[in-house]
Amino acid sequence: MQPPVLEVVGVRKRYGRTIALDGVSLAVGAGEMFGLLGPNGAGKTTLISILCALTDTDAGEVRLFGRPFRRSDREARRLIGIGTQDLSIYPDLSARENLRFFGKLYGLRGGELEKRVDELLSSVGLSDRAGDRAGTFSGGMKRRLNLAAAVVHRPKLLFLDEPTTGVDPQSRNHIFEQVKALNTAGVTVVYTSHYMEEVQKLCRRIAILEGGKVLACDTLPVLLKLLDATVRVAVAGAPPGFADQLAAIPGVKSIKPAADGFQLVVDDAAPVLAKVAMTCAATGTELTAVSTREPTLERVFLHLTGRELRD
Amino acid sequence: MPVLILALKDLRLLLRDPRSAVILLLMPLVLVLVLGLALGEGFGQKPDDRLRISVVNLDRGLAKYPAFPSKPWSEVVMDDLSGTADIRLEVIPDRAEAERLIARNKRATVIVFEPDFSERMDRCSFLTHADPPPLNPLGRDGVRLGDVGVILLADPTQPVAASVIEQVAQVTMLRVVVPWMIGRAFDRVGDEAFMGMLAAQLEKVKPIPPAVLTELDPVVQKLLAALFADPDFGQMLRKEFGAFGAEAIKTQMPQFRKLIQQAFRNEALMARVGTNISFGEVMTPAVRKQVGPRVQDEIQETFSNYNFRAKTWAGLTKSEAREGAEKNRTTYAADAEGTGLLKRGAVRYQILVPSYTVMFAFFLVLTVGWLFVVERKHGTLTRLRAAPLSRGQILLGKLLPCLAVSLFQGFFLLLAGRLVFGMSWGSHPWLLIPVVACTSAAAVGLAMLVASVARTETQVAVYGTLLVLVLGGVSGSLMPRELMPEPMKQASLVTPHAWALDAYSQLLGNPHPELTVVTTACLVLLGFGAVFLALAWWRLDLE
Repeated sequence: MQPPVLEVVGVRKRYGRTIALDGVSLAVGAGEMFGLLGPNGAGKTTLISILCALTDTDAGEVRLFGRPFRRSDREARRLIGIGTQDLSIYPDLSARENLRFFGKLYGLRGGELEKRVDELLSSVGLSDRAGDRAGTFSGGMKRRLNLAAAVVHRPKLLFLDEPTTGVDPQSRNHIFEQVKALNTAGVTVVYTSHYMEEVQKLCRRIAILEGGKVLACDTLPVLLKLLDATVRVAVAGAPPGFADQLAAIPGVKSIKPAADGFQLVVDDAAPVLAKVAMTCAATGTELTAVSTREPTLERVFLHLTGRELRD
Repeated sequence: MPVLILALKDLRLLLRDPRSAVILLLMPLVLVLVLGLALGEGFGQKPDDRLRISVVNLDRGLAKYPAFPSKPWSEVVMDDLSGTADIRLEVIPDRAEAERLIARNKRATVIVFEPDFSERMDRCSFLTHADPPPLNPLGRDGVRLGDVGVILLADPTQPVAASVIEQVAQVTMLRVVVPWMIGRAFDRVGDEAFMGMLAAQLEKVKPIPPAVLTELDPVVQKLLAALFADPDFGQMLRKEFGAFGAEAIKTQMPQFRKLIQQAFRNEALMARVGTNISFGEVMTPAVRKQVGPRVQDEIQETFSNYNFRAKTWAGLTKSEAREGAEKNRTTYAADAEGTGLLKRGAVRYQILVPSYTVMFAFFLVLTVGWLFVVERKHGTLTRLRAAPLSRGQILLGKLLPCLAVSLFQGFFLLLAGRLVFGMSWGSHPWLLIPVVACTSAAAVGLAMLVASVARTETQVAVYGTLLVLVLGGVSGSLMPRELMPEPMKQASLVTPHAWALDAYSQLLGNPHPELTVVTTACLVLLGFGAVFLALAWWRLDLE
């Protein structure tokens, strides 16, 4: 990981009796695409609010670009972009007027502003609708404009809170491409979503948040390693000792009989499966069916939290 | 700079919001139009049970004014009329207008002072001869109005009312003419001309009656005694007759005086002595000069309950002159009822336009409230809070466009009032600017306060409308403040509306506005705005 641009240490936040964040700690490196995964109510938005200076913490510390970050720190806020979960654009202003307004708020002026606005309109595919009021746009177009408004001032750190909520697949792909391009251009992105596939597709490192706590935070392969793969084989005419032969295959961690065969817990399904086929052939056992179950982020989440992501 | 960016953005949004235009601009105009057409001439004026006396004053006055009257006689008469209890005087600018009002049965009688009224009044006198020729206007029924240049235009369909007004006119004219004529006559009593005429009359009394000479004896005796006792006269005697002669005369003087006394008491002798002497010879110019004023004083003393010199009714009768005549005098506005379909220029627009301008200024609470709610609803408030802006900048960015809208609304409605409804901007139109500005300040303050309380569009609509209507009703925006009972009028001063209305009332309804009232109202409105803003600042939660 690159030196962290964002460090969260022991952040706590409570709303009345509800604990929204319970000692959250994480770090995001420069230029990283960081996923924040959690079900609704996990505390993602609260954490993003704190990181964007919208809410105070009850305890803990946030460090931004190596310095403590407080709500009053307006200069640090210039370095941050935020794509909110709910749209935050003016429906009665045109796409161009929205971008101009947010650009001016962050100090862009004149030719530089116009150039940046044109560039963004083009990149989010809204050049031909630049003069139309945002209120007339489809949900996907509004989301794209929302993303453009979040980055008009060229932030170094971008928080995207559920940026694809309610958009069509085409717009979703468009947003993905934009986020990737921003990241490639050096923008550090903190991406929150409850769509596992989005996080899996975009983010190198992922933090799983539940009940206001970070349950796990690492790269995807490491997270997947938290779970084993399962190979299920159905056989007919297996000789005695067949189960022992399967258990002896390298990579098989455990075996237990099933109704029509065996279930093997393995490190990696593919090499074990080849060995199982060879063992069946050698013992004259008929292999009637095979199925495998690889670890996924969803299963990791279920394993860690005990519930589905969309519960 | 960020404040300006925010303000321009909100201004743009407000201009694109048809609701604001309808509520802030169209609705007040429609209400003023509807009420303007529906309400009658007397709208906004307290029912006045005083008798209205209408006059047209064509009097050109006098070329030169003596000590009395110091102004045209028509003014003297009008002062008497407007100073009379239970009478209010209405001055109609021209005779044609008066005739139109009579023809339309709007007035029972109008008193017209003709151009030579003052000149005729000036000639009124008990004298038989004078220069210019005297005028005696008194007759069987009082003052012969026509003789003094007064015409009564009467509506034949209102004979009773016309008769009442004619009697009022008669009484007033008597109160003006009689003391004037008495005063002028009294000035003549004992003056040189009068004493000359008296002396001339006495000249005819010849011979002088013996009794008069007999009664003069004591005076002659006193004169002789004083004369011979005087040392200067003694010297004169000595010079003329020598010391011996003078002493001889002095020695003989008692016998001489006795002889004179006997002669004066001799009636036959006196009758002969006075044959060639007239009574008038006694009234020498010096005597007349001494006697004349004393005659006048003595008459005045004899009738001391009256002041014959005064020339006014109050002076003549030694009663107190009535105060406040000016307040009872109004000028008839020819266009009080307005003209055309819209009744343009009708007096009621002087009340309706400012009333609804003030009331709808405070409808800004809806616009501002919705602006905050929409900002929250669209999530843009979150974006603003995440941007490098302070809370103060965000609030100021909201406040400025609202103030601009409110100012535009105020000036727009007053301009529309003038262009559409023909209302007058009064004698000090430039003073409307601070009143509009201070009203806007108060309205923006209240709007921010409502925005700090209401969280949803429904709350804004309910709180805002309720507040505006209640304050409008309490303050007198919905009904003229003039019609409110005094305690209620005082209580209404807890609302900013009432202060704004008082300021407008001075500027639009009073030909001579009291500037202290306007200044005070402006200061209080600014105070309201400051307090509302302070509360809003404290209460407003942007999260």
